[in-house]
Amino acid sequence: MIDLKFDNVSKKYRVYHELDAESSENLLLRLRHKLRGNWNDFWALRDVSFEVPRGEALGIIGQNGAGKSTILKLLYNITAPSKGRISINGRLAALIEVASGFHPDLTGRENVYLNGSLLGMNRREISRKLDSIVDFAGVSAFIDTPVKRYSSGMYLRLGFAIAAHLDPDILLLDEVLAVGDAEFQSKCIQRINQLREAGTTIIFVSHNLGAIENICDRVFLLRDGEIFRSGKPRYVISEYEHLLTNMPAWSSSGSNDGGVQSAAQITSVAFFNSKKRRATIFATGEEARAEVELVVHEPLEDVLIEVYFYSAFGNLHSHFSTEGEGNKVNLTPGRSVVEFICPEIPLEAASFKIEASIRRRESSFNEHIDYKHAAGINIIKGKSVHGVFHTPHTWRLKPLPLERTEDPDAFVKTAD
Amino acid sequence: MSASSINQEGSRRERGARPVSEIRPPSLLGINLFTNLTKLAQYRDLIWTLSIHRIKVRYKQSVLGVLWAVLQPISMMLIFTFIFSFIARMPSEGLPYAIFAYTALLPWNYFSNGVSNATNSLVSHAQFVTKVYFPREILPISYIVAAFFDFIVACILLAGFMIYYHVPLTINALYAIPIVVVVSCFALGISFLLSATQVRYRDVGVAVPLLLQVWLFATPVVYPLSAVPERWRTFYLLNPMVGIIENFRQVMLTGSAPESRSLLLSAAISVALLVGSYLYFKLSEATMADYV
Repeated sequence: MIDLKFDNVSKKYRVYHELDAESSENLLLRLRHKLRGNWNDFWALRDVSFEVPRGEALGIIGQNGAGKSTILKLLYNITAPSKGRISINGRLAALIEVASGFHPDLTGRENVYLNGSLLGMNRREISRKLDSIVDFAGVSAFIDTPVKRYSSGMYLRLGFAIAAHLDPDILLLDEVLAVGDAEFQSKCIQRINQLREAGTTIIFVSHNLGAIENICDRVFLLRDGEIFRSGKPRYVISEYEHLLTNMPAWSSSGSNDGGVQSAAQITSVAFFNSKKRRATIFATGEEARAEVELVVHEPLEDVLIEVYFYSAFGNLHSHFSTEGEGNKVNLTPGRSVVEFICPEIPLEAASFKIEASIRRRESSFNEHIDYKHAAGINIIKGKSVHGVFHTPHTWRLKPLPLERTEDPDAFVKTAD
Repeated sequence: MSASSINQEGSRRERGARPVSEIRPPSLLGINLFTNLTKLAQYRDLIWTLSIHRIKVRYKQSVLGVLWAVLQPISMMLIFTFIFSFIARMPSEGLPYAIFAYTALLPWNYFSNGVSNATNSLVSHAQFVTKVYFPREILPISYIVAAFFDFIVACILLAGFMIYYHVPLTINALYAIPIVVVVSCFALGISFLLSATQVRYRDVGVAVPLLLQVWLFATPVVYPLSAVPERWRTFYLLNPMVGIIENFRQVMLTGSAPESRSLLLSAAISVALLVGSYLYFKLSEATMADYV
């Protein structure tokens, strides 16, 4: 039983160019520009064909602009294809965040009715599900308060909770896991699994590769509007990781392996995640481990192994070295691996270029025995970062002894 | 299953058969009027909720609230009465000028407020249009329904005026019902046309207030139809608002039956426009989200 079918579907967007400042001052030129148009055709999807059998969870990954959202928009009938045919067998709904459709002056309850009916529920259905929606969003105490008094978290959760109560045959998911805190996210995952067990066909578009792997049976990797790879999640995700870094898992460029053979060579630098699987994508706060593999040709005493994190613009973000650890690294000829272990990767969501070097402690900063540009890593949204870094931390409340403060309760209240 | 899981008992059973749909590139021949109207009917709760929402939002946090629905026609009536009854003398077919103008202003304001709000409806709801699927015509429709609500409120005051001026209500006032149906069709037709065009050409939104202002004076609101020279009449009647306004005033105030030729002409133009602009709307709906 096929629930969804794309038959040679293409989608063209028209990209308009702005006039340069000088010509735009001329009214006639501007009018001519507007009427004749000055655009390029951009094909967001090219001749895409696929079928999704009933009950399958299909993941779609790819870089921004690869055509992921276009597929969702076509399925959800938000925009029509330029060529081809799409067949849909079943009631389709999208689990998306629609809180932007809330009206600030209306109460939470009124907004549930408004948004629910926007998503295609009828009033009777909404009334029946109201309690469950409010409970899911965790806003029971504020349901008759205008949503403009809500915190941004409550706002998003309520918007999402409504969508989570749809009961479709085919479910579209778009970056759902970016909403709310961990507890709310786990509720969402639970809801998705519940729908999966009920036999709902799922199309999941996300940058969160972990979630894609957990949820999906099959994954498409889109590139330039075409299905570049398709298959088991694990296979397609690793293809994507290769594509993302746009180079092999490590590179030999920048090393001095040309002429004189050095005392040691870095043969690879690779990152591993907490599941001990090679990865180039980590969420903030996730465990990350780098392995710097070396081939040593002559005994080396007291060398330093260093790992550099550069921003995409080439600024040195941080530089870690075995230098300060008080440990002396002595290497004997043969192969060795030096591990760099980071229990919670502190970086904010961005791309980083990684470089690794080996040098003698007494040698100057740029006199390396070997130096390698390694694969880049991509940090995605994980533990929340307000600012530029994350650090493992805990909080503790310590009430002060009574005699030292006049009103001990005051402190407890503010600290809560 | 934990407490937070969602209980869906029964809902799968009551849903019935799975709908099968097919999406193709937009083409005029591909538009099935029946399918679209069936879909619209399925979304009737949304039309209702959005219309109520319009009314609620407008009057929430305003002191005068629903009184605004009558303040607008009353102030326009006072201005027109002052100009055309004290400064210049405008014929009003033997009726007090105030009630003559107020009665015509009711369907006019319904049309004019409905159209000017509906024109902007798609652009002002870009966040819906680009995120959620629903029949887009619901947005302009909800504004017309909200304007209709104001029209009904203002009609209550008309009853007060009629008592005050001793204007008798006759059975012919029931003709107001088909006349209101015609003006609703016309307002919807114009709204579909303008709102869909506004998505691509924002000039429309700027032009509409001007258009409505000119239109008001091209329609017998502040003057009677009889004031228009005979030889211009045929051409003049091509404006569907003429047949609507003139006949509405006639059945409400003079107690006579409507003038069938002008009313039927208005009805024919309105219905033809409604069908045509609905097709145009549905055709441009397919790619609306790309432009809005």
